[in-house]
This record gives sequence, C-alpha cells and structure tokens, in this order.
Amino acid sequence: MKTSSSSFRRVISETIAFTYRNYVVTKNEFYAIFEMLFWPLVTLISVGLLGEFLYLSKNEVAFIIIGVIALSVVHIVQIDVTYVMLLDMWSMSLKYIIVSPIPFYRMVVGAWLFGAVRGTVSLTLLILLSSAFFNFSFELPLSAAIIFTIGLFASAILIGIFNCVLILIFGRRAEIFAWTLTAIILIFCGIYYPVTILPEPFRTFGLLIPITHFLEYFRSFYGFSPTLENPLVPGIVETVIYLLLLLIVAELSMRRARKTGLVLKLSG
Amino acid sequence: MRVKAVECRDVWMVYRNFMERGVTALKGVSLDIENGEIFGILGPNGAGKTTLISVLSTILIPTKGEVRILGIDAFKNTKKVRERVNITSGVRLPWGMKVYECLRFYALCYGITDRNVIEKLIADFELEDYRNTRFDDLSAGNKQKLNLARAFLNNPEVVFLDEPTANLDPDIARKIREMILQIIKEKHTTIILTTHNMREAEMLCDRIAFIRDGKIIAEGTSEELKRFTKANERVIVGFKKPALSSLPTTYPYELDENSAIFYVDDAERFAPKIVLELSKAGIEIEYVKMEEITLEDVFIELSESN
Repeated sequence: MKTSSSSFRRVISETIAFTYRNYVVTKNEFYAIFEMLFWPLVTLISVGLLGEFLYLSKNEVAFIIIGVIALSVVHIVQIDVTYVMLLDMWSMSLKYIIVSPIPFYRMVVGAWLFGAVRGTVSLTLLILLSSAFFNFSFELPLSAAIIFTIGLFASAILIGIFNCVLILIFGRRAEIFAWTLTAIILIFCGIYYPVTILPEPFRTFGLLIPITHFLEYFRSFYGFSPTLENPLVPGIVETVIYLLLLLIVAELSMRRARKTGLVLKLSG
Repeated sequence: MRVKAVECRDVWMVYRNFMERGVTALKGVSLDIENGEIFGILGPNGAGKTTLISVLSTILIPTKGEVRILGIDAFKNTKKVRERVNITSGVRLPWGMKVYECLRFYALCYGITDRNVIEKLIADFELEDYRNTRFDDLSAGNKQKLNLARAFLNNPEVVFLDEPTANLDPDIARKIREMILQIIKEKHTTIILTTHNMREAEMLCDRIAFIRDGKIIAEGTSEELKRFTKANERVIVGFKKPALSSLPTTYPYELDENSAIFYVDDAERFAPKIVLELSKAGIEIEYVKMEEITLEDVFIELSESN
C-alpha cells in the first residue's frame, strides 16, 4: 500500500536523482570543474582590467562586474539544467530516462539544485576576487543578495529548460544553444550597459527578460536607477509565467519527440 | 480473466519530422504475449524490431493503434506502465559515471533508495570487481551486464531486451544468456527480446514473431515456424566435378558450384532416392549430408520471400 510518506520519499528520490548525476559527473570529469572556474575567471580578469584601463569610477566598475558575475553564474546553472538532455544525448542513452517514470519537471529541478551549488561556488569566488583585485565592494544587504542570487538561479532554470526544449525539437543541431544562449540573452538584458540604450524593439525585448530586472535590482544599490520602478516585481512575475509555460512546452516537446521518433535518434 | 503481459492491436508507426517525408516503420502490428513468456522478435535490419519494442516499452508513441501492458493502456497510464517495465537497447549508458554510481542514479529515478537492491544486482551480474570502474572503461560484455543490471533495478514484470548479445564474444554472449535465464527462473519476468542470433532465439524463446517491412509475417513456436519452410529437412550432395547447370531430378533443389541442397520432408527416406537419380544420370557424387531445417533457414526464407 502506498502511504503519503512513501510517496514523498519517492518524489525526493526522483528529484535528487539528477542532482546526484550532475554531482557525480562534476566529480569524475575535469571539464565540469574547468567550466565552473576557467571562463568566469578569464572574463572577470579581462573586464576588470578593461575598467582600470578606462579609469572607470568605483560604481561604474561595479556596474560591469555585476554583469560579469551574472553572465558566469547564469551560464553555469543553466548548463547543469541543460545536462538533463545533453548528457544522455552525448552518451546516446536518452531512452533510459524516458522509459523511467520520473516526470520532466523533477529532472530539471534536481539538476538545477546541483547547478545552484555550482553557481553559489562561482558567485562567491567571483565576488571575493573582484573585491580583492578590482576594488569591488559588495554593498547589498543580505536579504537583497539572496533575492538577487535566487533571481539569477531562477533565470538560469528558464534558459536550461528552453535548451532542453530546443534539443527535443531540433535534436543534436540544438546543442550549440547550450553554450551560446546565455550570451545571446544577456546582450538584450544589459550585461555591461543599461537596457535604455538599446534601440526599439530590443529595449522592450530586454524588459521581457527576467534577468534584466534582477540586474537592475542589484545595480540600484550602486546608485543606478532601474528602468521600471521596483524591478523585482516584473522579474518575479516574468519568471513564474515563463517557468509554467516552459514546463508545459517541454512536456509537449517530449511527447512530440516520442511521436516523431526523435528520441530514438538521440539514443543512437 | 488472466491479464496478458502485452496486447498490441493494429499498431502503426510513421516517423515524421518537420518537412521530411514520413517513413512507415510499423504497419498494423498486432501481438499477444502471455505473462512469463520469453517472446522473440526476429527480422532483418530495418524490419521494425527496435521500433516495435520502443513502442511497447512506451518510449515511442505510435501513430495509430492500441497497446496494453499488463492490462494497462500504455499511452493513457504511461507512468503506471513504466513503473512495471524496463528495457535494454544497445550498450550505451551515460559516460562519466562508475558502475555503482550509474546503478544508483537509475535506482533513484525509480524512487529506490535501498542500496541493497544495487548491491544484489552487482553480485547477480558479476560486476563486483568493476563497481568503481567508469562505464567508458568497461569491456563490451561488462557494459552489457551493467545495462542488464540497470534493466532489472525496478524489479520489472516485463523486460524488453533489444539484441542483448549483439557484438559480444560467444563465451560472453553465452554467459549473458545464462544470466537472463537465471533471472527469469527467479523472478518469472516476461521477456520480449529481439535478436539476430537464431540459435539464441531457439534456445531462449517460447514463441517467436518474424517481422519484415514493419509487418509480422509469421508467429509461433520455433517448431511451428519451421513448418513455414519448403521442407523439414535437407540433403546436401557434393559433386566430384563442378559446374553443373541443372540436375535431372524431381526433388526441389538449390544448385551451388560444387554441391546441391535438396529440400525434403524426411532426409533419411529421400537421400538414397536422390543419390540413385543423380548416379543414373552419370553424376559423380563425392559426399552426402543430411541436415534438419534450422530457424536460420526459416529466417532466410521469410526474409527473402514475397
């Protein structure tokens, strides 16, 4: 007989399956550590030095360093979510997770949890190094810092699910988005500049991306006024709406991939 | 009424993606497989074997048709079916994981947290020495053992095995077959297996279906299937002098450069008559062999027939 506690244990077990897999792959594969540290550090050092060369003010340096941190953290967390499809696609074993009774949303939540751990490590490291080398002072109250971090992580799960959807629709051809989509999105959400400088319709498009609002929220503590008053509200509302929509689209894409036979192509 | 392991009615599968022209892989397949049966699906490459077991195991959704697994509609209650079935197809599993880690990951996917389940499968499939070996570093045989262990993690009532011994050395293949038989003996699992190996099919399967061009063209026990051929037995006659264009005989035959194969119902009875006919015509005979028809003969005949 099924009890609520056994059902709950099952939900937890199924969810952490993908947390466990990403942990194991990170532990066993050098590239997983490398991608967590190498590019974030290279980007931070190059952008930090550029700031010094241009004699930017302390707040201007903070503005662009926040962009570097956001780009790195979002990329790391989203790639963990994208691994739900990517690892099985690479090893041609997708059919085995499809034939298991685990719903898609538990897979991505599990993978996202480990991404959040990797993202936190990267975030902490980048903040410490920016403080040490580029005079960046972390001036957010703890609660605001937590909100900003959750905002970044939530934005990353959206990109990760979107990548999974692309793989389920376009197959291997979509793999490239796992590495480029974060950078493409961050162009429109003001990574190193305020979105107000973007021409229309890109400015409006930028305001439809949740990260824009989380970046503006962070930057408001450094004296930069946000485009919309209280940027957290649109950031959270957009995140929730996109998350629900993407989960529905992901389920439909999975169904479509099972109907067209794409899942077998992705399984070798 | 006893629930069947698999009931499949008029299943069609058309692979279609965007603007691509559809490829029809299954054309109205219907099957009934009883609980506890070992059912073989044989057919040439591209016949639709993998598509069929992918549909039955809920990996694919058919374009048309109905599939019930253990009495449950496979496409209305997919989750319930998936809890009670499993599949192996090929030897690929996620790289970057060691044997134990791989089994632990898939165990968690089925909500299994009891590590004893993993330990028992590691022991059953003789993987103790490799528990900390990465999947990529395993031999083909051990990769297949790991894949089989994974397929039995959720204690499935129906297991689909897609060519479980393909590309394995004969001794490893034999070992894998023994392991499959041992598990079936212990757990009374229904097995649906595809294979190219006729001896394997004959040895393991209670019933066999031949599939060609997406259609089941024959179904039955191996003995029943052998009746589909021209005859039950054959007489092979070797000639001293080659290059004969035809033979003066009333028996059906296939002529090779140095020999001829005669298809008969009773080799012992007809062999002397064939030899007599050929000798009378002045043909010098070097040897005469009698053989029973094998499943391989049935396979070749059904694959080539119209």
